[in-house]
Amino acid sequence: MAEEEKREKREKRRTATKAAAMIGPMVKEFIGATHRAKQEGKKLAFTFICCFYEEIIRAMDIVPVWTENFAGICGAKRDAERFLARAESLDFSRSLCTYALCGIGFDQWREELGEMPPDPPWGGQPRPDFMLSSGQILCDPRNKWYQAVQQFMPDVPIYHLGMPWPLYEDDIEVSEVEDYYIKYIVSELRGLIKFLERQTQRKMDYDRLSELVDLSERTWNLIWETYELRRAVPTPMGTGDAMNTMVPLVFMMATQEGYHFFVELNKELKEKIARKEGVIEDEKYRLIWGGGLPSWFALKDFNYFNSKGAVFPVETTYRLIEPMYRLNIPETNDPLERLAYRWFRYWTYWYDKAKKRPGSEPDVERLIQYIEDYKIDGVVMHEAFSCRTWHLGLIWQLNQLNKIYKPIPVLVLGPNGKKREEKRELPSLILESDIVDISSYSEVDTRNQIDAFIETLDSVKKQGV
Amino acid sequence: MNEKNSNSMARVERYYQDYGLRARELKEEGKRFIGYFCSFVPVEIINAAGFFPFRLRGDVHEPITKGDTQLETIACPFMRSCFDLSLKGMYDFCEGLVIPHACDSMTRTYSVWRYSLGLPYSHFINIPHGVSEPALEFFKAELNTFRKSLGRYAGRDIPDGDLVEAIELYNKNRKKARALYELRKADPPLISGSEASRVLTVAMSLPVTEANALFDDVLAALRDREVSPLQKAPRIMVDGACIDNIDVFKLIEDSGANVVADNLCIGTRDYWLHVSTEGDPMDALSRRYLDKLNCPRTYRDKVGETYEEDLESRFGTMGALSREFKVDGVILYVYKYCDPFGFEVPARKAYLDSLNIPVLYLEDEYSAGTIGRLRTRIQAFLEMIG
Repeated sequence: MAEEEKREKREKRRTATKAAAMIGPMVKEFIGATHRAKQEGKKLAFTFICCFYEEIIRAMDIVPVWTENFAGICGAKRDAERFLARAESLDFSRSLCTYALCGIGFDQWREELGEMPPDPPWGGQPRPDFMLSSGQILCDPRNKWYQAVQQFMPDVPIYHLGMPWPLYEDDIEVSEVEDYYIKYIVSELRGLIKFLERQTQRKMDYDRLSELVDLSERTWNLIWETYELRRAVPTPMGTGDAMNTMVPLVFMMATQEGYHFFVELNKELKEKIARKEGVIEDEKYRLIWGGGLPSWFALKDFNYFNSKGAVFPVETTYRLIEPMYRLNIPETNDPLERLAYRWFRYWTYWYDKAKKRPGSEPDVERLIQYIEDYKIDGVVMHEAFSCRTWHLGLIWQLNQLNKIYKPIPVLVLGPNGKKREEKRELPSLILESDIVDISSYSEVDTRNQIDAFIETLDSVKKQGV
Repeated sequence: MNEKNSNSMARVERYYQDYGLRARELKEEGKRFIGYFCSFVPVEIINAAGFFPFRLRGDVHEPITKGDTQLETIACPFMRSCFDLSLKGMYDFCEGLVIPHACDSMTRTYSVWRYSLGLPYSHFINIPHGVSEPALEFFKAELNTFRKSLGRYAGRDIPDGDLVEAIELYNKNRKKARALYELRKADPPLISGSEASRVLTVAMSLPVTEANALFDDVLAALRDREVSPLQKAPRIMVDGACIDNIDVFKLIEDSGANVVADNLCIGTRDYWLHVSTEGDPMDALSRRYLDKLNCPRTYRDKVGETYEEDLESRFGTMGALSREFKVDGVILYVYKYCDPFGFEVPARKAYLDSLNIPVLYLEDEYSAGTIGRLRTRIQAFLEMIG
């Protein structure tokens, strides 16, 4: 057995569900599949997760190369440093998104050598035929990454796709702006199809595209229903596992395999609930992972939480779905319009709730809903230094939550319609590190922080009793 | 030099040192201010709605304290400084705030600004990343949403006539600012980079008519200069995002160079772009702010067959400036955590290399505390190009 395989086996993280344990081989397989596809002459596209046009890529038989995924793998295997250092040596600041830096470092090295860099993680990231760049409202790196890497492979074309949504405003209803957002997004998606038709010399099959949009919508419903099972006490699955099950959610959308994965997970969770089998035997504290991407090299910290009696029945990270009934998509035969409405209404879904609570905002409303639904005792967030997209505004969200969950008794309306005193203090913890760059991480410090947080949770629980 | 003209430079210095002084005075007289951030906010719309636009500025000498209680330190340090000063009440005369979709640091913190400052009015302008015709049409619709929202707050619709008038006023403003650059073409230049930056920065804190009058006085004062107060020295262009404190320019100049040109937000990137006065004013504003404004946050489709052609299309302005101002070297000055510029550093360097223009890349933290470290690198660079 190779040394690397031995290390992987020795260090394998414990998951609560069988489904989550299947993810490692699954990712390895779809990275392997990109290499085989390359050899078979299929078209490979660099692309980003949560792009909302997976259906278009799949309908045209294009093989997606998820560049963030590859960087995450390098991070999880603790083998990103050499690629980060290479990007830094090219004058990309180490303060930039480390997914992008890792990917750029790897791609530049591969282009320089004309072959994969030595010992590439899981065979490495193949050269794409084209790149699908993302101009969503968030994530500057996704807007700039492929343009930056084009310096090292200038013959690889880019299609840049704008997918905006409006930010929350008190004085503007989303319905006032929806029409021109949808129109723009649809035109961008049409542009994407034209680009792909040119690149592949094939025509889009719109019937197949519609079927795949149906499949994604069914998958969204299924994921939502499955994740809602985690409300059970004890919870059958935690965020540690969800950081695995995000793989079919964001990398396998619009595929039967992705749908099937959640059928199996749904079944497994129901069985565990029937057996009252939780992530841990003695569930003391129920926490929400309230924001931030995880440190892919330190997922075992979730197990450490578990060892202290804490579980995470819910997270906001990578839960990028809502059940379709909530989105109320208008009837249309145009699959591109359906994609556009799904996108727009997903991102604006929580706006109405925020309007009803002055001083609140959608991200905070979502947290409150989860805190109530999942009977949450505390909030944990992660601030990754290299990512502004998902890690700015966390402190402020906690400040807003603290206005609602106070360490003093407040009057609430009881189920019998009478007011009663309730104290809902909600301790919080922000961990600081990165998604890929392990040099930012200290296991000892992190675990000391977790220990202190657990003590706080314990003390709040005791006071509550 | 007549007294009015010589006083103009003293006025600039006073407004620079006490940024917002004039706005506070005018606020006392009942004038209304809307703060804004970055070059992407169409000040013409704010002006036409009956408010004075006021560009928020940071302070490299003021430690960020209050701001860090509400905002992560991984945000753009320039934006954090502006936020910190706002929380400390420095811009309390602004009753509203407009933030554009320029970068993640602004977009993700919009809610934080909004609620922390408790302003009666705020608005976020969404800007597409591309510059295609559908993107322009989308952006025009966004600007119309802003126009409607601000009009609602002002209690009146903003008529096209007022918009056209504001466009003309700002075009004049930009023309006068550009005249300042003409004085920098001489060798040695008639005005130093730090003096010029002070004027350009201060002008964005004043009502446009006052800024225009100030430009006139400053230009007259400078034209009175018979000989340049500067020595011949290597001619430097500074490239980067928003520099609103003159310390970097002073550092370069104290190290033995003249800063003669810039490719900066409070500089040519913004001041040199006019709004067309032909056709629909909203079309003209959309085109000026989305297409003409050349910021790395906007994606430009690759042009031409070769990478070199693409570089020329993206950064050709820099090449043109370097020729026009006979530049000997470029200092590429980028803030830490700036993703839009950060991902372009190698490409910008490659472009300047292709023109055989020496370039020094500096990453800084928006703090006066880094001056010593920067000095050593700047001196070494100047010795090299000497």
